[in-house]
Amino acid sequence: MSGFGAALLNSLDIGLLLFVIAVGLNIVFGVLNVINFAHGALYMLGAYLAYTLINLVGLSFWPTLLLAPLGVAAVAVLIDRLVLRFIYQRDVADSLLLTFALLLIINESVRSIWGSGIHVVEPPPILQGTVRVFGGPSYPIYSLFVILVGLLLLAGLWYLFNRTRVGRIMRAAALDRDMAEALGINTKRVVTGVFAFGAWLAAVGGAVAAPMRAIDPGMGDKIIIESFIVVVIGGLGSFPGALIGALALGLMHGFGGRYMPEINMLLPFVGMALVLLFKPTGIMGKGATA
Amino acid sequence: MQLLKPARLLMTLVAVTGLAGAPAWADDDPIRIGAIYILSGSAANYGKFAQQGIQLAIDEINQDGGVMGRDLEVITEDSQGKASVAIQAARKLVYQDQADVLMGLDSSGVAQGLVPVMPELKKPLIITHAATPDVTGKLCNAYTYRISNNVAQNMKAAAIIAGETGAKRWTTIGPDYAFGHQSWEFFGKALKEANPDVELMSDTAFPRFGAEDFTPFINGVMAAKPDGVLISVWGGDLVNFVRQANNLGFFEQDMEIMFTVGAATEVLSALGEQMPEGVWLSTRYWYDGFDNDVNKRFVSAYIDRYGVPPSYNAEGAYAAVYAYKKAIESAGSTDGDKLAQTLSGMSLDAPNGTIAFRAGDHQALVGPNWGKSGPMNEKHGIRTLADLRILDGEKVSRTIEETGCQL
Repeated sequence: MSGFGAALLNSLDIGLLLFVIAVGLNIVFGVLNVINFAHGALYMLGAYLAYTLINLVGLSFWPTLLLAPLGVAAVAVLIDRLVLRFIYQRDVADSLLLTFALLLIINESVRSIWGSGIHVVEPPPILQGTVRVFGGPSYPIYSLFVILVGLLLLAGLWYLFNRTRVGRIMRAAALDRDMAEALGINTKRVVTGVFAFGAWLAAVGGAVAAPMRAIDPGMGDKIIIESFIVVVIGGLGSFPGALIGALALGLMHGFGGRYMPEINMLLPFVGMALVLLFKPTGIMGKGATA
Repeated sequence: MQLLKPARLLMTLVAVTGLAGAPAWADDDPIRIGAIYILSGSAANYGKFAQQGIQLAIDEINQDGGVMGRDLEVITEDSQGKASVAIQAARKLVYQDQADVLMGLDSSGVAQGLVPVMPELKKPLIITHAATPDVTGKLCNAYTYRISNNVAQNMKAAAIIAGETGAKRWTTIGPDYAFGHQSWEFFGKALKEANPDVELMSDTAFPRFGAEDFTPFINGVMAAKPDGVLISVWGGDLVNFVRQANNLGFFEQDMEIMFTVGAATEVLSALGEQMPEGVWLSTRYWYDGFDNDVNKRFVSAYIDRYGVPPSYNAEGAYAAVYAYKKAIESAGSTDGDKLAQTLSGMSLDAPNGTIAFRAGDHQALVGPNWGKSGPMNEKHGIRTLADLRILDGEKVSRTIEETGCQL
């Protein structure tokens, strides 16, 4: 496989995983007007649950992929009912402060439950090893699987928002919550559901990342920074924005790391600065609502 | 009368402690060690091992009657891997907690930030992990010591081994901050000096610290087809790196691979069999490499208590506590200035042999440990080191003039 082909696949691998995580962040912001700083911590929780189910409980990979994100979604329902619901009517800055506190609480809880060690999870046997792509040398099967999961979720989300009643309700609640309520939609349930759904997406990202990334107490902090860059580039609260931002960042990492390693670190921030200068709301964004 | 009883009791207590206790109070007060390590985030495990090493040393010493009749006590602060946080922590430890001595530091960046503050704090600092040559070089000062080896020493050792492999074209993959760049710089310099015909390639890769995805960089280095690769990626990044490199067949290429901090047990236990066999791994200290009584006692006590073999970070921290014990006893005081003077030139029987803080730059002349990853040690769940080499600390150290340190 040519260097170009490898760089392209790497970009997709990195970009689509980021998309899955960042789109959750964006949906939560779009509907709830909450910038969830703890989103990365929920991603980490997904990975730790996957590690627990596979390495400690002895479950295989596939049921884990289903169960770990559901577990995190359940935690998210608790967070929503116990904490977040009190600040939905407030300024977006309050949600930043509160979710930052949640981030610290989840981070420390993870460290006290699972310890500070580094853990790894093996990919399922069928996804181990490499395969020839484009007739050239080998590419890891697991990375292709990540790309596939990203594409499936992308298609699923598009269908959800454009073709289903649930998706329309979510969009209605995002546009005007009072009007949606006047039309007979139980927005409280929508709100809890949306927050849990956002957390589920983060945790799917975490569970999918578990077999290829080191599971350690810092993994959530790393991903939240990347996710914020995605959101700034693509546009806060925008579904296509999350895709564009994530793919842009994926391309910067995939090609930057391969061909311009000395400025690779700079690229995402230059991209972010350019977007902020010329289109402060992000490429697809509408900006925050008061 | 009922009401008077507690009051009288209290008065009696005050009287007793006031009369009998006052002069003795200061001497019974424990000697405080302030420790600064990374306790949160990806590298938190390094801090945990250091804390365990400190606690083991303190408990051993206190059981034996303490230091000059006083117990030792540690207060640990989280540096978060940030210089600004570490400086705040050091000030808090010295001014608020009244720490008598300081130790710790995992990151080169943190060390470069904190070391220049030490003359203001007037307490000795023993660095047990951070490896930038600068803090026992151009940034050196009267209060700062290092018990672990530094990048310059380890890269000199690496160059000796790299020279023996016969590989001609070398490149590197390292984290994009002081540690990664200085590793490559010192390695290249030492290798070129000994073997002028080697080529230091321009295709180097410096992914950011915490990059998560190293695949693009691994592809890049493989495409450049070097004969040898020096890898200074460490911690959770190294775990990610090795797994992704395995996936891409990186270790099946015809290359010499040298991991400059690859034999950290924190990393080896996470990777298990995924660390490939036959690559060069280095560590500041390998628990199985020293056949002396101090090491035997340390390793068996450590495994008994914590269930895992000690990492180099645990050993550095353990040895630093004993260094302070010795310094306080020979100075007969916990005064910061006196201790700082006493440490200069002092030698100590540590688990990794008899080591001394060189008077000219306060760097301990300790030899790096290099070995080839061997079969699994099933009991400890980590790879063994085959062909272990303990390099001569004096031979791999720079001269005082080369360090640029002026004390």
